[in-house]
Amino acid sequence: MTIQRSEVDGVPALFVEHAGPMIAGLTFRVGQADETLAGRGITHLAEHLVLHGHGLTDYHYNGSTGAIVTTFHMQGGEEDIVAFLNGVCAALQALPLDRLETERQVLRAEENGRRGGAAEALALWRYGARTYGLPAYDELGLPRITRDDLQRWVQTWFTRQNAALWVAGERIPAALKLVLPEGVRRPVPAPSSALRGTPAYFVGEGTHVAYDGIVRRGRAASAFAGVLERELYRGLRQEDGNSYNVAASYDPRGDGQATIAAFADSVPDRHDAVLGGFIDVLAKMRAGRIEAADLDAVKAQAEDAMRGPMVEVARLPGQAADLLVGAALESLDEIRAELRALTVADLHPVALEMLGTGLLQTPRGRDAEWAGFEPAPLWSERPIEGQRFRSRQDGKISVVVGPHGVGLDQEGRPPVAIPFDQCAVALAFPDGGRQLIGFDSLTIRLEPTVFPVPPQVLAQVDAALAPVTVPQPPRDPGQIPTGKPLPKAARPAGDRTGLLVGGVIALVLSVVALCCSGLWSWVVADNSDPANDVPLDATTLGINIVGYALAVGLAVVGVVLLRRRNRK
Amino acid sequence: MTDIDLAEPFPELRELRRAVLQQDWPAIAGQFEGLTDPDDHEYAARVVADVKGAEEFLGRAAQREPGPLARTLYSARLVAAGWEARTALRAQYVNRAQFAAFHDHLRRAERVLIEVTAEDPANSTAWAQRIKTNRGLELGQNEARRRYDRLSRHVPHVYNAQAGMVQQFCPKWGGSVEKVHAFGLECLRSGPEGSLAALAIVEAHFEIAFHLEEGARTVYWRRTDVREEIEEAANRSVRHPAFRSGGYRAVTAHSHFALAYTLLGDRAAARPHFDAAGDHGAGVFWGYFFFDERSGYRSARAKAAKA
Repeated sequence: MTIQRSEVDGVPALFVEHAGPMIAGLTFRVGQADETLAGRGITHLAEHLVLHGHGLTDYHYNGSTGAIVTTFHMQGGEEDIVAFLNGVCAALQALPLDRLETERQVLRAEENGRRGGAAEALALWRYGARTYGLPAYDELGLPRITRDDLQRWVQTWFTRQNAALWVAGERIPAALKLVLPEGVRRPVPAPSSALRGTPAYFVGEGTHVAYDGIVRRGRAASAFAGVLERELYRGLRQEDGNSYNVAASYDPRGDGQATIAAFADSVPDRHDAVLGGFIDVLAKMRAGRIEAADLDAVKAQAEDAMRGPMVEVARLPGQAADLLVGAALESLDEIRAELRALTVADLHPVALEMLGTGLLQTPRGRDAEWAGFEPAPLWSERPIEGQRFRSRQDGKISVVVGPHGVGLDQEGRPPVAIPFDQCAVALAFPDGGRQLIGFDSLTIRLEPTVFPVPPQVLAQVDAALAPVTVPQPPRDPGQIPTGKPLPKAARPAGDRTGLLVGGVIALVLSVVALCCSGLWSWVVADNSDPANDVPLDATTLGINIVGYALAVGLAVVGVVLLRRRNRK
Repeated sequence: MTDIDLAEPFPELRELRRAVLQQDWPAIAGQFEGLTDPDDHEYAARVVADVKGAEEFLGRAAQREPGPLARTLYSARLVAAGWEARTALRAQYVNRAQFAAFHDHLRRAERVLIEVTAEDPANSTAWAQRIKTNRGLELGQNEARRRYDRLSRHVPHVYNAQAGMVQQFCPKWGGSVEKVHAFGLECLRSGPEGSLAALAIVEAHFEIAFHLEEGARTVYWRRTDVREEIEEAANRSVRHPAFRSGGYRAVTAHSHFALAYTLLGDRAAARPHFDAAGDHGAGVFWGYFFFDERSGYRSARAKAAKA
């Protein structure tokens, strides 16, 4: 029972003999990573439209849209399978576009129930709002996608050359007719990057630690992920007792590379030690202290997973994806042989590769610079040049609108810049608010209620961003900023040096003024040397009054400053 | 002549310091080879770390030497240099540039130490440094405990690691009086007879008393529970037959009890500890309770001699 290769109507096919109900699927080399943020959701929308024609049956059918592949699959009798797959091809040739609005609503409802996992934040920070970072984003493009967009998308990606068929059953049904448009095999996208260097870290909002690194795809890498999970479990859960859930995973990216990701949660209030323990586990891997017993256990587990009647069937969708990305298809015997040959020495290079490309999400309030991670960019390298509009809420913040982009200028902080040609999406609210997301995931909220940007300038921005603008439904009035000044933030306690220095200077000047005035009084009053006498008149008296007033005034200022300094 | 120089009482440590000043790596490595006791090893590393300017030479050695020793000593020097940059002032008086230099040194040390403890998880001197970097970099109370527990799994009851935890658990570093006292008792009761583990409770009492007002301090040292714990600590360490009186930390231990009994008002009980510590007992805790460490030690010692 091995996987056999053949072809149906020019579509490469994988077949496994299988006694139970037939299982079959049609997989296309297209997914979220091929989309743009302004068109995010188009593959999923196409998948839903295609499946719409298949009403509820007694049999199980479904579609799934992943990062790099989209699959339509079904389990059932041979006739049902034929009807399903032939129907999928027919629907791809003539999308039921009259269903567009309904499916758009369905997907938006689905989206609301969706919660991003730990891996998504990592993808967003690593890749930005492009390629492999896109699955981390909501289907923001849904309101914008037109019938034409869908037609073009399907004709570009859902083609004969970009498809693979897989079947588990007695035979490949003869009645299958895979009529698909002609096209080309599409390679996976080259990964984008939002990082300036690795290893990098960003501060998360939760108390868990998440991490990933990019390594060459292969048996050693997948085994290493298993070893890493065991190490984390032993270190963080069994020994330290600071984590309850730990996990590590291995996921091929489709371009010959794979992502090794790891996760550890924190028992209440121990996240500082979870981070420390996590970093020490990574350091142990870097030092090459990989336990042979761990590798043996991982190998045994992998061998166990390759036993049983359903193993080849379960491998079919993955093999179809491998076929589409041009990866070598391996038999179970080949995999077993590779697995048996693995030693701990094979894993150390994987560890080093992962660590060199690592991205770490720390628990809230914790950095990782002390462990040699550089902060992932929160700022842009260059500001946008243009007209500045100061915030009505906070005078230290301005937006900058120029001919080439929009920027944010916050006093004392590096700039945020979204050049128009680097803008992934502009979400446009009916109240005039705009939210811009750059390719690097940096975000600028252009709120006319906060920043006094004149309508003609806003119109210029809208014109420049029209190709990536997605209209949004009206916002809850509570979400629209009012533009009222924010209450003044309390001055941090302890930072009162300015008051001390100011107070002391005022008091010293007060003493100086007093001395000068006293001296002047003496000069005026002193008549011992008639030759050099200064008469008491309006001018000399005036000078003296001003002098004493200055001394008193400065003394008051000094005392007020010093008293304020002592206030808690 | 009263001194607070760690190397002074021990000729071989004076020799070690000379080797550092002369940048003689083989001589340094040779000195450490004979140090099998973890506390002696850590003490000697501290002598090396206190040599100002040695970071350049030690940094080169750390690059070149394959074993963990050079990297451990290099990072220990970085930690000491960081603390020198910070000065001994309390946090609110340290200016921003001093803090930046302090943190920069500690980060550089910590990165080396992560590597060393990953390769050599039983390296007690490196772990003791990591407890110190944890404090300076404010990496957290639980993280400090994790580091201490990691070390203890391999080498339990390292004096300086426990002393570092006493500091970490003090209110000034984010702990509490209850926490630091509980840790002191934990060390006292779980440490082997005759070991230095009993010193943790003595240091905990020093820290707690130091942060009290003058009047409250006097009351504190009159408390019978405090006295009993000091007694128990002395019985389990310096007075116990298994106590290593030749260990480098023996001077530290006697200095602690000389101070503790002085503060308890029991000068006769302090006397044998003054005798044992001799001219070298004026450790840092003396500065907590006397205007000057040396003169405070000297005068207390003179009064004890007459008692």
